[in-house]
Amino acid sequence: MKKANKFLGSIVVLFALLLAACSSDSDTGTTTDSSEETEASGGTLTIALGTDIVGFDIHNHNNTSTEAVHDNMFNYLFKKDSNQEIQPELAESYEQIDDLTLEVKLVEGVKFHNGDDFTAEDVKFTLERVAKDDTLREYPNYNQIKEVQVVDEHTVRIITHSPEPSLLPRLSRLGSGMLPKNYIEENGWDYFLSNPIGTGPYQFEEWVTDDRIVFTPFEDYYLGKVEEWDEVVFRIIPENSTRVSELLTGGVDIAVNVPPADWERVDSGDSTSMVRETSNRNILLVLRSTEGYPTSDVRVRQAMNLAIDNAAITENVLQGAGIPTQTMVAPGNFGANEELYDSYVYDLEKAKELMAEAGYEDGFEMTLHSPRGRYLQDVEVTEMIAGMLSQIGITVNIEFMEWSNFVEMRAAKENKDAYLLGLGNSMFDGAYSVDWYRAERFAGETDYKNDRIEELLAASAQNMDSAEREQQIQEIQEIAAEDLPFIMLHQETINHGVSDRINFVPTMDEMLYAPSITKK
Amino acid sequence: MVKYFIRRVLQTIPVLLIISFIIFSLVFVAGDPVALMLPEDASFEDVENLREALGLDRPFLVQYGSYVVNLLQGDFGESFRFNQSALPIVLDRLPATIELAVAAMLVAIVISIPLGIWSATKRNSSLDLLATGGAVIGKAMPNFWLGIMLILLFSVTLGWFPVSGRGTMLHLVLPAITLGTGIAAEMTRLIRSSMIDILNQDYVRTAKSKGIHDFFVVYKHAFRNSLIPVVTITALQTSTVVGGALITETVFSWPGLGQLLIQAVNTRDMAVVQACVFVIAILVILMNLFADLLYRLLDPRIKYN
Repeated sequence: MKKANKFLGSIVVLFALLLAACSSDSDTGTTTDSSEETEASGGTLTIALGTDIVGFDIHNHNNTSTEAVHDNMFNYLFKKDSNQEIQPELAESYEQIDDLTLEVKLVEGVKFHNGDDFTAEDVKFTLERVAKDDTLREYPNYNQIKEVQVVDEHTVRIITHSPEPSLLPRLSRLGSGMLPKNYIEENGWDYFLSNPIGTGPYQFEEWVTDDRIVFTPFEDYYLGKVEEWDEVVFRIIPENSTRVSELLTGGVDIAVNVPPADWERVDSGDSTSMVRETSNRNILLVLRSTEGYPTSDVRVRQAMNLAIDNAAITENVLQGAGIPTQTMVAPGNFGANEELYDSYVYDLEKAKELMAEAGYEDGFEMTLHSPRGRYLQDVEVTEMIAGMLSQIGITVNIEFMEWSNFVEMRAAKENKDAYLLGLGNSMFDGAYSVDWYRAERFAGETDYKNDRIEELLAASAQNMDSAEREQQIQEIQEIAAEDLPFIMLHQETINHGVSDRINFVPTMDEMLYAPSITKK
Repeated sequence: MVKYFIRRVLQTIPVLLIISFIIFSLVFVAGDPVALMLPEDASFEDVENLREALGLDRPFLVQYGSYVVNLLQGDFGESFRFNQSALPIVLDRLPATIELAVAAMLVAIVISIPLGIWSATKRNSSLDLLATGGAVIGKAMPNFWLGIMLILLFSVTLGWFPVSGRGTMLHLVLPAITLGTGIAAEMTRLIRSSMIDILNQDYVRTAKSKGIHDFFVVYKHAFRNSLIPVVTITALQTSTVVGGALITETVFSWPGLGQLLIQAVNTRDMAVVQACVFVIAILVILMNLFADLLYRLLDPRIKYN
């Protein structure tokens, strides 16, 4: 028994030592309480994200929340301003030499975080990597680029395979951050991934996965060192309620994507409030136009559209976090048709007449697929739509699905009458939204085809006349609002909780650009 | 004993192989990671191209076969999410989870030992009812609910502890209590029943009849012997602790294995899921082995064959 006692004693000591070792390790480690840190240095901005970044390979992700962090340490050749207008960033000037060639003069005196100069060779290295490596996730958005020619140290020519009217939108978004060619070639790609450098206002300090990413100001930033914050910390807090609690206790300055259930908690906090901005994501119902389905009759589609009260959804279910719309191209995107935005049609009597005209006085039964937990209040929105459609005699069988099953259903074209979908547009170019009406893209899935839309899509695809192209995209939206391949519901908003000690205005592209966030 | 040890270690190999097959099958059946990697506006050609580039278009058995071959070379594959080898990512998280698990066990021990002894010695008293009732409530409370309630009370309202993250000892308190409460509840009941058994033994009655003070009878004669099943069963609680850590770590943004595994499952990051489950399986197997050996040390009457 004595032996056993000694053994037990040693276990307790071992436990205590292990705990002490773990704790001391973390004390000397990288993580500290952000609220304490904020007070001590007076210059830390802490932003709570719901998910971690996927890494620092800017070409191998398709993730807006990752880009929102990268935006602080990389620069693009062009950048959208707060109105989503494209402005030159690392480009001093640019000229479209012919339909296939864009010449860009680069800003001189720009340095990478290791002190190397930014040159035309870096542009060639960056853009050709993503344009030629088909294993990269951003490859489909850049393979239009054939090559990048270096004219001199600060001039490049970007050559496309065919006329590419969306080249500037491409170069001002995810995947276009400029990479340091020499640094990567000397040290290897793996080294870059754990010690990334760019030309941006903040430089990388550390990344503890699923915990935090820390940036500090870059002394030699070409527009001058950002003085506002000594440190920018992105904390990863997946649990919504915890993220909100951190905001309420001053542990973080911004909590992104606060769910509706917590809005009141944030707004009633002593020093916190909600801020909102429209996102570039529209929620819609995709309808089957395949022969044999009731929704193949345009009168039925119009009746359904008239029976859905979009404002009732945005006001009651979304508590104001949505804007009714009749178009997929919201203001802020090239080619937006503003007449169709922030508007909707609702007329139950007319809807019933149209149903009768189409031979469905007694209604019909249909299936509506919907992802669960993917979009803001998606379950509630779907249920409300089913209730609204029942008023014109349509019995809706709702089928909620887990996201990957939902994607597989679409890939296998096994969708029935309708499904709920949210569509973003990272290009901020309406051409990418209206391309969803192209017959070939949806063959077997919706079988929708409109000859005039097909003509306009073909004409706008390589049209380098910006004004004409804009009109073509707008006309497509007008036709779609009548012919209704999809029933448009609303544009979602971005909902962030913010501490009253800072000035922060969210932007439609969902970036979290620290230099634009200031102390009050 | 050495032979026994070697035999037990060798037995883990088929166990790990079976685990690898089950997890691989489950992740495979659960869905395609490519669906989650690309946005809604990706075309089906993009999806197919990426699937082919990642080798996910190959038949199940071919994918599993190549996985096992790599596994034998210590290669768990590349994380889709982080574009890095999966195993180092998982091993990086291990210290945080061990820290939390050890702290939770300490909380459990500190609560359960006095409470268990107390309710056994005062059996059927109102104190006993309170302790056993408390144990039932402790066991019944879901970790995520308890965690959120503790945050609301001690962090948001009272401001005593940080809400989330890992760093100082203060960061450890609320997650450790959250995770430790359920274990404490189970251990309290175990210590109580074990103590009641022992207190009814002849040698305890003899000790009492010799006029030894109650304190010494309980702590020197009864408690030590009642600990034998408690210590081994505590060692076997590893799987409960890890299971609880999945939720606790997510609620408190504690950057450990649990949070990593939840995120990996959500994003279908198969390599990380596999590596996580493997590391956890090895931990559980080791703790089971440790429990067996401990039992032998505590009670020399037990022989291995």
